[in-house]
Amino acid sequence: MTLRVLAIVGALGCADSLIIDPARFWANWLVWTLMLVSAGLGSLFLVSLEHLTGARWSIPLRRTAERVASLLIPGSLAMLAALIGIPVLFPWAQPGWPEDPLQAGKTAWLNVPFFTARAAACAALWIGSWKVLAGGSLELDRTRDPRLHLRLQRFSPFFIAVFALTVTVTAFDWVSSLSPEWYSDVLGVYLFAGVFLSGLSAVSLAAVSLKKEGRLQGVRFDHLYNLGGFLFAFVVFWSYIAFAQYMLMWYAHMPEEIFWYKDRVEGAWGAATLGLALVHFVIPFFALVTRGSKGDPRRLAWVSGLVLVSHYADLCWLVFPSLGLAPRFSWPEAAAGLLFVSVGLLWVRRATAQGDDLPVGDPALEEGLAFRL
Amino acid sequence: MGERVFAVLGVFAGPDALLDAASKLEGRGVGKLEAYTPYPVHGLGEALALRRSPLAGMVMVMGTLGTAAAFLFQWWMNAYDYPIVVGGKPLASWQAFVPIMFEVTVLFSAFTAWLGAVFLLCRLPGLWHPMLSSSSMPKLTRDRFALSIESQGRDFDAEATREALRDAGALETEVVRFPPAPKPASLTLLLGLAGAGALACVVAGLATYWTIKVFPTLPPMSRMLQQPRLGAQRSSSVFAGSAGFAPVAEGTVARGRLPYPFKTPEEAAVLGNPLPRTKAVLAEGKRRFDTVCRVCHGPLADGKGTLTKAYGASPADLRTRRYQAFPDGSVYHAIMSGKNAMPSFAKALTEDERWSIIHYLRALQRAADAKDSDLP
Ligand code: HEC
Repeated sequence: MTLRVLAIVGALGCADSLIIDPARFWANWLVWTLMLVSAGLGSLFLVSLEHLTGARWSIPLRRTAERVASLLIPGSLAMLAALIGIPVLFPWAQPGWPEDPLQAGKTAWLNVPFFTARAAACAALWIGSWKVLAGGSLELDRTRDPRLHLRLQRFSPFFIAVFALTVTVTAFDWVSSLSPEWYSDVLGVYLFAGVFLSGLSAVSLAAVSLKKEGRLQGVRFDHLYNLGGFLFAFVVFWSYIAFAQYMLMWYAHMPEEIFWYKDRVEGAWGAATLGLALVHFVIPFFALVTRGSKGDPRRLAWVSGLVLVSHYADLCWLVFPSLGLAPRFSWPEAAAGLLFVSVGLLWVRRATAQGDDLPVGDPALEEGLAFRL
Repeated sequence: MGERVFAVLGVFAGPDALLDAASKLEGRGVGKLEAYTPYPVHGLGEALALRRSPLAGMVMVMGTLGTAAAFLFQWWMNAYDYPIVVGGKPLASWQAFVPIMFEVTVLFSAFTAWLGAVFLLCRLPGLWHPMLSSSSMPKLTRDRFALSIESQGRDFDAEATREALRDAGALETEVVRFPPAPKPASLTLLLGLAGAGALACVVAGLATYWTIKVFPTLPPMSRMLQQPRLGAQRSSSVFAGSAGFAPVAEGTVARGRLPYPFKTPEEAAVLGNPLPRTKAVLAEGKRRFDTVCRVCHGPLADGKGTLTKAYGASPADLRTRRYQAFPDGSVYHAIMSGKNAMPSFAKALTEDERWSIIHYLRALQRAADAKDSDLP
């Protein structure tokens, strides 16, 4: 109930900011769209990893991941809605672009029809893949047909390819093309790190809170430990990629690359960059480095929350400076946050009311529950 | 059979029986419990109430040490001991240090984990252990599970311990004693291994030495030698008369090869600076001076460059009265011909660059004792 009220308050605030400052509204909309997509897509990646590798430990957590992955539906819809903001967000949609021959080379990729088609294709592929993986798993619970299980396993490699392509396209389209003159090949991998991290965090948070309600009985320290271990590894992975991108551009100092970092390292964003390093790497790293902490529900929950906040900060850091916005958190940001967080929570909560908490139809569920480190 | 008792061993049929017995006996003060299994058994650590291994802490300390050492080492080398500008970056650029810091951290951590686990915690290479004299050992590497209770002093009652193990469900029990005399075999083996290692080193060293002696001209990389080119005395179809090298045409000088006739700075003093003293010329002079002369003569031309002591000579302080009065032509001569420890820079600089450096040098000299009226 409160969530509904909060969502309505957030929606009103968003409408207000759309009238006052459309650029800032669309920037916030974009950040939160990517937030929903990240959490959903990262969870679906975890699901398909399990099918792909035949992992046992994650089977008791799979239903939770499938439920969190349903965020792809509101995420995709928000992304389609963001298409309206193209003229406000993207310099390449302004009249008079391209200004120089370097950027003229990108016109084949950066134009409204093709961009819209790509966004629609991504949305369709995500929702379709979610339907196959999560719907198939529910179907399996009902029918206990082992052929269905096999089908999910066969589908997963296809999804991994779709995942890699769509994450890269999303990074190039919705992040990189905010500064069309900029080049970075590794941005897709950078976004992937954030996507998987936020998927893991969302699944961890959901699992811990379900456990608190007395559900997900069989999930123990050992299962949570693996989630924590993944989280720890990918915190380091994100930092590695983020620093690699920075160091190469800092060293080469090419005009078509370095301006992007100058926007973010100098002035007010400089402090934000340091803060990002702190919350996205230093704190989670030391919070999860010991053995006991990776599987401790309390620790895992707050680190997951922190990582989600860091991913939000990371997305702001990617989007805002390109639009010339200062590092500020004020009413427009708060309103968008309220709207999206409460809609996301409502959505996941609705999903957790359907079906069993454990994938009871999975032939290897017993093995998964018996998993020991 | 009069030897000291090492431990009493109880053999169990399966991992469950072992876990059960371990949790029954743990904490009853019968002696130090130890388990022997053919494969890792889940939950055994908890059942035996083993302490957490200190390895993680050791790795953490050494990893942090690696980070710090790599940072300090690079900072000391790049910013302090041998400051050389690379890629136009500041001398102490932490960004450039990070990859090495990361790698040294991983290196230190990995070595600590490996060496610490193998040598410190597992005490390898231990080629002998009293338990190896137990007759149950072959079974224990196959399909049996054993719990041993080690003697911790004189008042160890082997019979009572056997009883306790039997009560806990052991199929059979055995008293393991220290063997009559510790085998010296392990020592011989170690010495043999060390000897073989030393011999291998000597052989490898000698072989390398002789290979280099016998085949001294193994060409490392000869591709540059084998390119198509004109040898000194070869003929060619390019010039008339099939000469490989054509003589210089009568009465001409090659571009940029004007002869330089002067032998001393005094003779060269007749040369005048042909360039105007404009901002552009001074900027070019500064650029060339900073590239070529600055290492030795210092950024202010006061002779305090960034050379180390190994250079041996002291570059002239060009701001002194003597050099203020030094004619332009004589400075030009110093650049062309060098002087003692200063090499000639005739090849490194074009004529215009040399003269622009001289303009800039004059500016530096004037700046050395500037008057108020010099300020703009
Ligand atoms: C490798 C170090 C080195 C570099 C580079 C170098 N110098 Fe020198 N220079 C010296 C030393 C050493 C002396 C003192 C020689 C002596 O008096 O024995 C010297 C002396 C001189 C003198 C005085 C000559 C005289 O006749 O008394 C002048 C003028 C001079 N340098 C100009 C330059 C200029 C201009 C450059 C840049 C193009 C330059 N130097 C680059 C080492 C260097």
